[in-house]
Amino acid sequence: MTRTIRYVDAIREALDEELARDESVYLSGEDVGEFGGNFGETRGLQERYGERRVRDTPLSEIGIAGHALGAAVGGLRPVAQLQFADFVATAGDETFNQIPKMPYVSGGQLEVPVTIFAPSGAGISSGAQHSQSVHAWLGNVPGWVVVTATTPYDAKGLFKSAIRDDNPVAFFFHKYLTSREGEVPDEEYTLPLGEAAVERSGDDVTVVATQLMYHRAAEAAEQLDDVSVEIINPRTFAPLDVDTIASSVEKTGRLVVVDETAMRYGTQSHIVERIIEETFFSFDAPPTTVGVDDVPIPFSPPLEEEVLPSADEIADAIRSQFGTPY
Amino acid sequence: MTTDADAVTVQTEAAVDLLRRMLRIRWFEEEATRRSEDGEIPGFLHLCRGHEGSHAGMCAAMDPDDWLAVGGARLHGQYLAKGLPMDEVMAELYGKETGSNRGKGGSMHVSDVDRHLYGHAATIGSGQNPAVGLALAQQMRETDNVVMCTIGDGGTSRGSFHTALVFAAYWDLPVVFVIENNQWAISTPAESLSPENLSDYGEPHTIYTETIDGTDVETVYRTVSEAVGRAREGGGPSVIESRVYRLVGHFGADKETYRSEEERKHAEEVGDPLDNYRERLLADGTVTEEEYEEMEAEVQAEVEEAVEFARESEYPDSREAYEGIYRRPLYGQGSEGGET
Repeated sequence: MTRTIRYVDAIREALDEELARDESVYLSGEDVGEFGGNFGETRGLQERYGERRVRDTPLSEIGIAGHALGAAVGGLRPVAQLQFADFVATAGDETFNQIPKMPYVSGGQLEVPVTIFAPSGAGISSGAQHSQSVHAWLGNVPGWVVVTATTPYDAKGLFKSAIRDDNPVAFFFHKYLTSREGEVPDEEYTLPLGEAAVERSGDDVTVVATQLMYHRAAEAAEQLDDVSVEIINPRTFAPLDVDTIASSVEKTGRLVVVDETAMRYGTQSHIVERIIEETFFSFDAPPTTVGVDDVPIPFSPPLEEEVLPSADEIADAIRSQFGTPY
Repeated sequence: MTTDADAVTVQTEAAVDLLRRMLRIRWFEEEATRRSEDGEIPGFLHLCRGHEGSHAGMCAAMDPDDWLAVGGARLHGQYLAKGLPMDEVMAELYGKETGSNRGKGGSMHVSDVDRHLYGHAATIGSGQNPAVGLALAQQMRETDNVVMCTIGDGGTSRGSFHTALVFAAYWDLPVVFVIENNQWAISTPAESLSPENLSDYGEPHTIYTETIDGTDVETVYRTVSEAVGRAREGGGPSVIESRVYRLVGHFGADKETYRSEEERKHAEEVGDPLDNYRERLLADGTVTEEEYEEMEAEVQAEVEEAVEFARESEYPDSREAYEGIYRRPLYGQGSEGGET
């Protein structure tokens, strides 16, 4: 049996269940306690688990990410929130040099089962420093498992797995999707990390997309009633499940990669490159990439909408695979 | 500044232990310098000459299960004083598979989880927040262990250091911050920083602070013991500034043009903690010349064996470069998925 819940409630349920399941799990971050998080994602958890396991922190991402690293080495399973994904940059050394590298440089001695989670993405006029999709940044640093959530089903199942995983995991939910509803199983479940999901089956073209771009790609697929579109949600961007995407392209012969990250040195070109290396002779057309143009996310709604790929633009990109000018 | 360099105030056994710790550091580094100059040890080598008393006193004040997160760029002595086997540290400097980190870390990144040595944030000043997290883990798990972390005078200018003080005070954690002020952040003098004492940085957070003569091993031992004891009993964090002299350059090729001849002479005359302590122990009869020479011979033999061990050990197989990035499988990966 399933029930319908909101995406943000899926985040909260995942935290709730993992706090209940494992005494070594604790939650920390700015305003995660009585305030309940900017989107309500931690509401009620401090009341249930107390101030010892649901900890408000002073305002410093360096402190949040840095202490979580040490606490993980010390035998806890920290789940640490940054209020916005953009703020991984304010914990830059922790994010890029410390957390992902310490397990490796220690020769495998240090175990760092830490989950850093944050809302990413644009669409609510939150400006250039509260709107970025940063999974490309972290994907560039070996050591991070980088996960994005697209539906309530994903948000709950992947977040629970992220918390249970023994690697450093960066888990990004999308702020524009927080009130979107979807079905989740009544019973407890988790979803595997490192595995992409075929969200929609099709024969003519493979579209890779996650988070908000997945939903827009699904709209685009509905518009194109003469094209059979297969949509793959990577779920984990690093390490990437190349096999699932490559198998799809072997079937369809065409690939469109859409992502909300900036295009330059981005996820789109990386995924395309990996699939070309894997299965070059499967391609019937050059692959197409769609993303945010190489500009900061602007504030004003028409400007913001201009730089985000729309369903129409994604539909055009798909059509271009069949010789229609894009 | 507390200074008490006259009398030997610890028991004979403790004094001999402190002296031996300092000797091991000195002999290890002198040999490592030669092995580096001969090209046997790759990479940087940041020597700690002048810090030996501070390292030894600080680590002698810890219980074996207390954690140490090292900082301040002068590291080898801290590894040894925490109790790591000399041969594993030397092999790590050589990049050999028998090294503490199997050759993945090197001089700046020695870790030993079994001996509760966290390791080092080589970006300088980023190890303090992980130390705070380790302390939170001790507090939440009620282990009774204390966490010590060190930093140099240079690192105290990093915001991350100050953030760590905020968090340590906020949660009242069992952590001792030791600032080893060796007067120079490469070429930038500590006296150009505005606080009179670098331990003053703890004051706005109402953290216990003290500045001591770090060239005196017993002063360090006594002060840090008190701070560790306070932390263990729930008394919260401390910031101790341990003032030493860096008696060598930042690294081998450092010409030290920034340091005056006068200062160098002064530092060498008053700032060598090993010479000072040996003379004191000999003068008051805690050790005899014969006992000292015997100890020196033992340490020398240990260093020679460590070099031999490192030389004879194999380099890691080149495939090892690709191992240990992820613990695999990832959660749920390769299973049927869905149910737990």
